Amino acid sequence: MIAAARPHVAATLVFAASVLLVLFEAPLWCTAVALGCAAWRIAVSVGWLNPPRAGSWRRLVFVTLTVACVLAVLANFRTLNGLSAGTALLVLMGALKLLESRSRRDDGIVIGVALFMLLAAVLGDQSLLRVPLYLLTVWGACAAIAIIAHPGDALPTRAALRLSARALAMAAPLAAACFLLFPRVSGQFWALQRGQQATTGLSDVMAPGAIGELASEYDPAFRVRFEGSPPPRETLYFRGVVLNSFDGFTWRRARSHTWNPPPLEMLGAPVRYRVTLEPSYRPWLFALDTVARSPRRNVFLAHDRQLTAMDDIDTVTSYDAESYLRTRSTGKLSVAGHRYETRIEGEGNPRTRALALSLRAQSGSDAEYAQRVLQWFQEQRLEYTLDPGPTSVDSVDSTLFDSKRGFCAHFASAYATLMRMADVPAHVVTGYLGGEWNPAGGYLIVRQSDAHAWTEVWLDGHGWTRIDPTSVVEPERLQRGLYDLMPQSMGATAQVLRSAWISRIAHVWDSANQWWQERVVEFNARAQLSFLRNLGIDSPGWQHLGWGFAIALLTWIGWVSLTLRRSVARQRPDRIARAWLAATRKLARVAPARAADEGPIAFARRIGAARPDLAPAVSDVAERYVRLRFGPSSSAPEVLELERAVRRLAA
Amino acid sequence: MIRERRQSKGTWRAQLRDRVRSWARRRQGEDSLPVTLATRRVYILPTRAGFAFAALLLLMLLAGLNYANSIALIVTFLLAGFALIAMHLTHRNLVGLALRGVATTDAFVGEHGRLLLTLDNTADTPRIGIECETDETERSPVDVPATGSARAELGISLARRGRLRLDRIRISTSFPFGLFRAWSYAHLPMELLAWPAPRGRRDPPAESTSGGQATAVHRAGDEQWSSLRAFRSGDSPRQVAWAAYARGRGLLVKVYESPAAHHRTFDFDRVPGEVEQRLEQMSAWIVDAHARGESYGLRIGGEALPPSSGSEHRERCLDALALYGDPEPRP
Repeated sequence: MIAAARPHVAATLVFAASVLLVLFEAPLWCTAVALGCAAWRIAVSVGWLNPPRAGSWRRLVFVTLTVACVLAVLANFRTLNGLSAGTALLVLMGALKLLESRSRRDDGIVIGVALFMLLAAVLGDQSLLRVPLYLLTVWGACAAIAIIAHPGDALPTRAALRLSARALAMAAPLAAACFLLFPRVSGQFWALQRGQQATTGLSDVMAPGAIGELASEYDPAFRVRFEGSPPPRETLYFRGVVLNSFDGFTWRRARSHTWNPPPLEMLGAPVRYRVTLEPSYRPWLFALDTVARSPRRNVFLAHDRQLTAMDDIDTVTSYDAESYLRTRSTGKLSVAGHRYETRIEGEGNPRTRALALSLRAQSGSDAEYAQRVLQWFQEQRLEYTLDPGPTSVDSVDSTLFDSKRGFCAHFASAYATLMRMADVPAHVVTGYLGGEWNPAGGYLIVRQSDAHAWTEVWLDGHGWTRIDPTSVVEPERLQRGLYDLMPQSMGATAQVLRSAWISRIAHVWDSANQWWQERVVEFNARAQLSFLRNLGIDSPGWQHLGWGFAIALLTWIGWVSLTLRRSVARQRPDRIARAWLAATRKLARVAPARAADEGPIAFARRIGAARPDLAPAVSDVAERYVRLRFGPSSSAPEVLELERAVRRLAA
Repeated sequence: MIRERRQSKGTWRAQLRDRVRSWARRRQGEDSLPVTLATRRVYILPTRAGFAFAALLLLMLLAGLNYANSIALIVTFLLAGFALIAMHLTHRNLVGLALRGVATTDAFVGEHGRLLLTLDNTADTPRIGIECETDETERSPVDVPATGSARAELGISLARRGRLRLDRIRISTSFPFGLFRAWSYAHLPMELLAWPAPRGRRDPPAESTSGGQATAVHRAGDEQWSSLRAFRSGDSPRQVAWAAYARGRGLLVKVYESPAAHHRTFDFDRVPGEVEQRLEQMSAWIVDAHARGESYGLRIGGEALPPSSGSEHRERCLDALALYGDPEPRP
């Protein structure tokens, strides 16, 4: 490669690397344009292609392209604001800069754009897996900065890489100290607008097959770390969306159906835990049944104890929650509440209605009726399957009387319908049941495949009571995950990941990720203070952070200057200087030591005056030394001669 | 080119630069060789790229704090540490470097005089990208090997006949990352002569003959020198009388004189025309005569150089032309 091309190639490669980092943030066509420009730039720099001829038209083409790119981004996103649109614009502008970059300064700008894209990538994804990529990009950028600063053969690529690796390694302790101690602010001054993403997980609409669709998704929905030992497995009902409106086929969440619930009594000891939610691009938070209060700011706890965030969950989000496994509500359901919770739109599912009325007539109370219906479910020998086949418009009728097969959503829907038809308040709750215990990290991984639907029935004297009809149809579901019950439902990925030894590795990797998430990604102002508390400061505050930060910074600067100074101060005098030093040391016995500003010749003259017998020898040594030191060149035999003359010197 | 660029920069920048320089001059005083660039005389500031890098880091920090994004903060802190290390490395690249020797070479007007700087590195790591410059020259980077020395050669374009005085060498470096520039001044009096450019088509005056043998003795290392004269910048170090130096007589140069058979004498008073034209014409004659190996003498402004030949003589003649009328020294 031509040496002159190296700065261009280095900057372009760093740019291309950072374009790949934002591969998922920017649209594919932007990435393609940017990589194309990078390839062209390298081809031109190395000489495979001729550079474009200079001329006024080039300027015109450049301006046109710039305008076209801005318009294209606008057309794609309808805005220039937000992370995705901003990233796309950055990628395109960087690519255009490549087209016209010629000077060293242009290369510098390209590296600056690359670092900006690194920032965009970091804002988009902080997962442990990508950290090595980020670090490699930083390393490459630093090396490219060195190459640009010293074009040509002055600094070989390998030397640039070595130098920047060393500088970054020395910077690492400072980065760690700053990370721990640099005062953080809590809260955002301006919010990040993220692009639209495909939503995952549960929705607030449940058609009969809805939950079954999630069964093949092995992705984690959230992870739960319990304070103390985890509660028994059959109680791990993570409540999500409460569906309170039924039209005979689909359950939905009607926002208008709000009413004042009677007061709730929390019984027993609370379960405290921390949930780390994967982004779902939906606003719901999940908590163990029943959550005591809203776990964080900007999260709304509805009358039916559903947790809804102000914004969609678009990043990994953690919250500390407190739940009570047993609750009681001795009050009465309000009239509005009763009306909403027993309403069924339309006159569908006639066979179910007849069943409801007959079973209710046989029961003395709502509680007895609820029990009877469960019994009926058991007697009917309903089949628990992922693939119950299509249902008719009267979905409950076809589940209970025609196919007699269903998944949790079918049974929950049927049970709640039976309740409502008998004027017993009931609704469907979707969420997750169980999960996979990660022994390596000591926490629970709840996956999309653990999605579940159950019902809550209002029983006077008890309040809302969780009844899971699936537990009657397939009691094993409470104790085991879906994949243990129906291995055929697993996707290929899940099959590989669940094999014995891979699952152990997967658990370790998952717990490393979780550690990264909890300890690094979520290290915030509060975590900072608790870190100080662990250091033994009773009531830590900003001033402690400031002091700690200042001490760490000074320590680091001291360490760096010592480390870097040593390699300069470790100066070995060369042979000529050593010989002369030896001579002055010998002569120090004859006359006062040589003053710093006394030249060798003057020194020799002074010695000669004091000891005329030494004069010729000393002046010979001084003359040789002066000739070697200040003369045009020094040959090895001459140096040897000097050394010999010094040895002969007999003071 | 560099001078044009400097002029086009804002005047406040030029003023600031001048003030910094005169402050450094007052602070450091006159230097004498060898000049070791100790810590107290090495200055350092971010370059333009360094300021841009700092702005980028500030933005990253704000983004990281605002979005409470730990990785953005880690990357920012890492790069900030990197920049501080870069500052240390740049500073260290210069501190301890010694300017051992300075030599100048005179040249004709319109050509480049040369400034030869000898840099010593006593450290066991090489110093890369050391850039030396004066007010009149561009930067030229050299690498100084570990426990070794290197020469930097600066070309000084000579625009006007006469003395060119330089009193300051700026030694700087931005190695390794170009984010900072460390620099130091060595205040040393230096002088270059700009000889009149050899121009003119007049015929030289006729030869005259005097007795003697036509053997030009001009052999280096030969002890048969005829006289000693003071060392002038540009003299070959091989001509220096080291024995005399060792006796404390200062730097002297051995002069070899040879009697010449035929010679011309170039007399300023006999050349017609304007002063500068006449000087240029005489310069051309000297160059031609020297090229042919002829012997020639010079008579100018009451000064008479007896006929002789050799590089030494040529330079003395040209020096006399350069200094005729004592043109005002620059700058």
